[in-house]
Amino acid sequence: MAEHAPNAHLARRHLIDRLTTRVVSFGGITVLATIVAIFLYLLFAALPIFSDARITPAGGIALPPRDTRLVDFNENADALMRVSTDGSIEFFGVADGAALAAYTLGAQITQVRRVEPTLDTYALLDNRGLLWFVRVDYRVDFVAAERKVRPRAAFAFGPQPVAFGQAQMLDAQLDNANNLLIAGASAQRITLLGYDDVESGIPLLNPRRTTVLMDQAPQHLSIGPRNEWLYAVSASNRMQVLAVNNFDFVEELFRTQIAASGARIDAIAPLVGRRSLVISSGAGNATQWSVQRDDLGFRLQPIRSFDTSGRGLAIVAEPRRKGFALIHDGGTIDLLYPASERLLTSFEGALQAPLALGMAPRANLLAFAYNDRVMLFELDNPHPEISLASLLTPTWYEGYKGPVFSWQSSSADIDFEPKFSIVPLLFGTLKAAFYALLFALPLAVLGAIYTAHYLSPSMRAWIKPSIETMAALPTVVLGFLGGLWLAPIVEDNLSETLNLLVALPLSLAACALLWSTLPRRLIQRIEGWQPLLVIPVLAGTAVIAILSGEMLEAELFAGDSRLWLRDELGLDYAQRNALVVGMVMGLAVIPTIYAIAEDAIHNVPGHLITGSLALGASRWQTLTRVVLLTAGPGIFSAIMVGIGRAVGETMIVLMATGNTPILEFNVFEGMRTFASNIAVELPESDVASTHYRLLFLSALALFIITFFFNTIAEVVRERLRTHYGNL
Amino acid sequence: MKNWLNNLQNGEPWVWFSAAALVTCVAAVSAVVCLVAFRGLTHFWPADVAEITLVGGERVIGEIVEVDDLSRASFIENGGSEEILQAGQQSVTRWLLKTGNRRIDPPDFRWVFAHEMALIEYPEDIVVIEREAWGNAYGHIVAIELNTSDPEPTVVKGTSIDSVLLSALVRLDDTRGAIRELEQGSLNRISSELEALRLELRRQELSHDGPELTAVANIAAQERVLLTAYREQEQILSGLLSSLTGTALVINTHSKQWHQDMSEVLRVQWPNRMSFPGKFRAWLGNVWRFLSDNPREANTEGGVFPAIFGTVLMVLLMSVFVAPIGIITAIYLHEYAQQGPLVRTLRIAVGNLAGVPSIVYGVFGLGFFVYVLGGNLDTLFFPEALPAPTFGTPGLIWASLTLALLTLPVVIVSTEEGLTRIPQSLREGSLALGATRAETLFRVVLPMATPAMLTGIILAVARAAGEVAPLMLVGVVKLAPQLPIDGEFPFLHLDRKFMHLGFHIYDVGFQSANIEAARPLVYATALLLITIVIGLNLSAIALRNRLERSYNTFE
Repeated sequence: MAEHAPNAHLARRHLIDRLTTRVVSFGGITVLATIVAIFLYLLFAALPIFSDARITPAGGIALPPRDTRLVDFNENADALMRVSTDGSIEFFGVADGAALAAYTLGAQITQVRRVEPTLDTYALLDNRGLLWFVRVDYRVDFVAAERKVRPRAAFAFGPQPVAFGQAQMLDAQLDNANNLLIAGASAQRITLLGYDDVESGIPLLNPRRTTVLMDQAPQHLSIGPRNEWLYAVSASNRMQVLAVNNFDFVEELFRTQIAASGARIDAIAPLVGRRSLVISSGAGNATQWSVQRDDLGFRLQPIRSFDTSGRGLAIVAEPRRKGFALIHDGGTIDLLYPASERLLTSFEGALQAPLALGMAPRANLLAFAYNDRVMLFELDNPHPEISLASLLTPTWYEGYKGPVFSWQSSSADIDFEPKFSIVPLLFGTLKAAFYALLFALPLAVLGAIYTAHYLSPSMRAWIKPSIETMAALPTVVLGFLGGLWLAPIVEDNLSETLNLLVALPLSLAACALLWSTLPRRLIQRIEGWQPLLVIPVLAGTAVIAILSGEMLEAELFAGDSRLWLRDELGLDYAQRNALVVGMVMGLAVIPTIYAIAEDAIHNVPGHLITGSLALGASRWQTLTRVVLLTAGPGIFSAIMVGIGRAVGETMIVLMATGNTPILEFNVFEGMRTFASNIAVELPESDVASTHYRLLFLSALALFIITFFFNTIAEVVRERLRTHYGNL
Repeated sequence: MKNWLNNLQNGEPWVWFSAAALVTCVAAVSAVVCLVAFRGLTHFWPADVAEITLVGGERVIGEIVEVDDLSRASFIENGGSEEILQAGQQSVTRWLLKTGNRRIDPPDFRWVFAHEMALIEYPEDIVVIEREAWGNAYGHIVAIELNTSDPEPTVVKGTSIDSVLLSALVRLDDTRGAIRELEQGSLNRISSELEALRLELRRQELSHDGPELTAVANIAAQERVLLTAYREQEQILSGLLSSLTGTALVINTHSKQWHQDMSEVLRVQWPNRMSFPGKFRAWLGNVWRFLSDNPREANTEGGVFPAIFGTVLMVLLMSVFVAPIGIITAIYLHEYAQQGPLVRTLRIAVGNLAGVPSIVYGVFGLGFFVYVLGGNLDTLFFPEALPAPTFGTPGLIWASLTLALLTLPVVIVSTEEGLTRIPQSLREGSLALGATRAETLFRVVLPMATPAMLTGIILAVARAAGEVAPLMLVGVVKLAPQLPIDGEFPFLHLDRKFMHLGFHIYDVGFQSANIEAARPLVYATALLLITIVIGLNLSAIALRNRLERSYNTFE
């Protein structure tokens, strides 16, 4: 036993040794893998926005043969609704084709439309000219943990139909104020019927009605946004826009030729929100026409056209996004999105022309309806809004004068068109960093030079840590001071501030010249104490600059510098602007640049300096010809790290600017940066939405940009260290 | 002249610029710190309350907050009449008065021009009433009414007001204490037990074989008992609440006289009557209440205790994560990994991570920790609470993990620096004596590197305490109803959201309705945060200096 003891002890020691090696190596490698994982995760979260859409045939459902007029889905796309000419309203399960419910109106239907933008109310016109409103609702039950949909249909506004008259086409819309408008056309006559403030289940009261006689019979009719106007297209391809907000005075707002008068228009459909229409005419051509209203009046103009794969047959607009599906006469389905100008996918279905087409509310299912069956297609199209072009180049959005760079991710309106151009954010990021560095660079680098090269060691031991401590100042405090203390002061004393920024360097230059006239003996005695001498100079200049500011304002800027800027230079002034951000973020960046630059200068080998001084060079000459040349890469890397910090700073920009995503380099206006944009918008963004992924993309961009600058800095510094070692 | 040119040539004048830059840097730092310290500390000082008689005979009561000069042009632009100005007068002095009395006698801030003033007095009987809501009230106490619900309330006037008022305040304080105890004690406990029962029931429903009938009946019975207890406690509470009312102060401000119900009064002070030591005592009291009280009025009044608590707890949790991981990684990089281009690259990558913007970590934390990890934890362990997320929502644990990731490079770099400083000869000596690598590590290397590790952890804590941007995404809220630690099982609630000093600054300074009134409080919070962060940094620097000295002996 006694012989074994040392061996056992040894074995135990070796076990511990091996275990430690394992644990440490495992831990270390895991952490390093985590770093890579961060990058990969951001990448994988962001990448799907560039992926294409997919259309998958999801089989067909056999239906009792009827003359189908309309098919539609519920929110979850698990129930299908069909309306047929004989007045029957039937519901079928999407998964198995089982009949779920059936109703009949007891009248022959000639027209049926969903009341836009609702997803559950339909207007049906029968052969006697009576208009019926039906609302459907889909109840969900769980029977033995299985989801069962139970569709029900009922009259939307009481059982009494409304006399409307015959029509060859029909459109109905409910606006935000619950005013219902129905428009129908029969030959050259357009009938308009309006009800104000309608309520579900309450009979429609106080109809407003008017008819308009057109000189050509409309071939297409749709109501415009907020029930304000009506688009009507005649057989000679003339588009007329009628103002219909006042029934007593229906006037033509605009007319234009949307295609040559002989050409055949294959399909027209308004996109959701109805501020633009897509018109397909001739092979391979679909055009988006958008409304624009400004001081030039009302206009409808083509803003882009899409290359598609054949002659159009029908257009189905998505119920909630601006996208649409274009069906070709060969049975091909193209999914398109206007703002990103993307043909997201094209699917060769080789299908016959359907009697009706239906798209589910979430745009995830498309139905081709025939007499006796429905063919279903699953659409997987999560991020149509994004393309490299829409991110980086000017994009022409609905209602705009021309292509613009714009970032506007959300709005209260449901039919809002999101504008995802990252250019304003990129611009804002660079603008903030530029002004911050403009302020920080000279101060930090010159300060570092003085500290490392001139300052007495005992002073240096105090000054350096105190400036470095500033790096730890919470940026939220700096942002708060910038936004709520400095910004109002600068606004109220703009001329004084500008005066100060100009006067300080000038007075220093004057001082420096004066200094060189002093006798050498005196200079040598003061050497090293310049900071103390500079204080009264700076303070004095500041006092004079502030006192004379008002006078200067009266003389140069006609008494009000902000007004002068606006009137004379055309510069707008925002209280929280780039000047304030420059100063405050400069303050945050100074310690970073200062610390690295000071280290680089301080570590220049002493024998180089003494050698230079021994050869008769002055200290400044030694500095510029020897020290700075040697330490140059170090200062460069300091600047790189400073840029990295300025680019990613969040709280200061968030608090000290107005966060408006504008493309103005004006120092007196704000900006929105990538970082502050993420902080503002990510908490409100839906998980896995395009907006959410785009914010991840901007985080990834920040990650890469700063990693890039920091790597350059680190590599340069590494080389410098070896270089110093060799000297 | 020759001297002059000579000097210019050898560049000596340019030294001035670099000296001035240095002075500006130092001045800017001290200006920021001094500004925050001054504004933050004076906020608690009981300022004298002025009673200003205007030329027209109107009298205004309020604290003088600011005095400034308005230029002639902007005076006229703001609607001032030119006749008031004397010939050649370039500016007008104006005083900003905080007149308080929000909801009773608006506005609560008011500018008074020098030419409007006839007399400034500081009458000793002016009171400052700190109210539960709507900020301070100022005025003269005319009388105090007892039993206001009676048709004929007792009215106390004259010199006995003070003693009656003080005893009423003491009684109110006691009642409020009892209410707090009830709300945070038994009522809180009962409602959390009810919630636990609800979850238990849901768990039964979700279980594979369907709910067990006896268990369900049991739950229902327990629920009934708890509900009865809850109602009883509520009775007591409403009794206590009604006993708060019944006393009112009659306050006069010359322009208005009103009854201030004492149930809304927290404190009454006579600042004009106080001596300097008295004011100092009041100041200390105010500072203490700021540190120890809960916030009121959407954080714009009261204290910041939950924010201090949240910050400290989050930072502590973060250190628990970051310290072992960071140290192990540093040891791996420096002691175990094969030194070569790969390790050098990794080292650069780790260093660069320190420069990655904090918001990026926040985005990662939200996407990965909260939605991926938290979401999966929820479906695995807390299905009964769904769709309400337990861990799949921002919370304390995710905030700590995110910040641990953020501060990891700080710890790694600092520890590695310490390891580098340990002379190789010591390791070799240990190995030569027959120690294994692990023994060398634990007995020789780690003890010597302890100060470096501590420095790293302190720096990490300092950085984490001042970060706000990532926290806005992963767990900080404006107002957390409960602290993350309390008397309920499991005592430390990692899933709860918490308050944070830095976010408090952002929120109160930029999101509150009455920024003018809330600003002084933000300065105080900022001062507190700066003190914590700079204090931590200074201790890290001190530690580092000691470390440098102790290794000089080896070199």
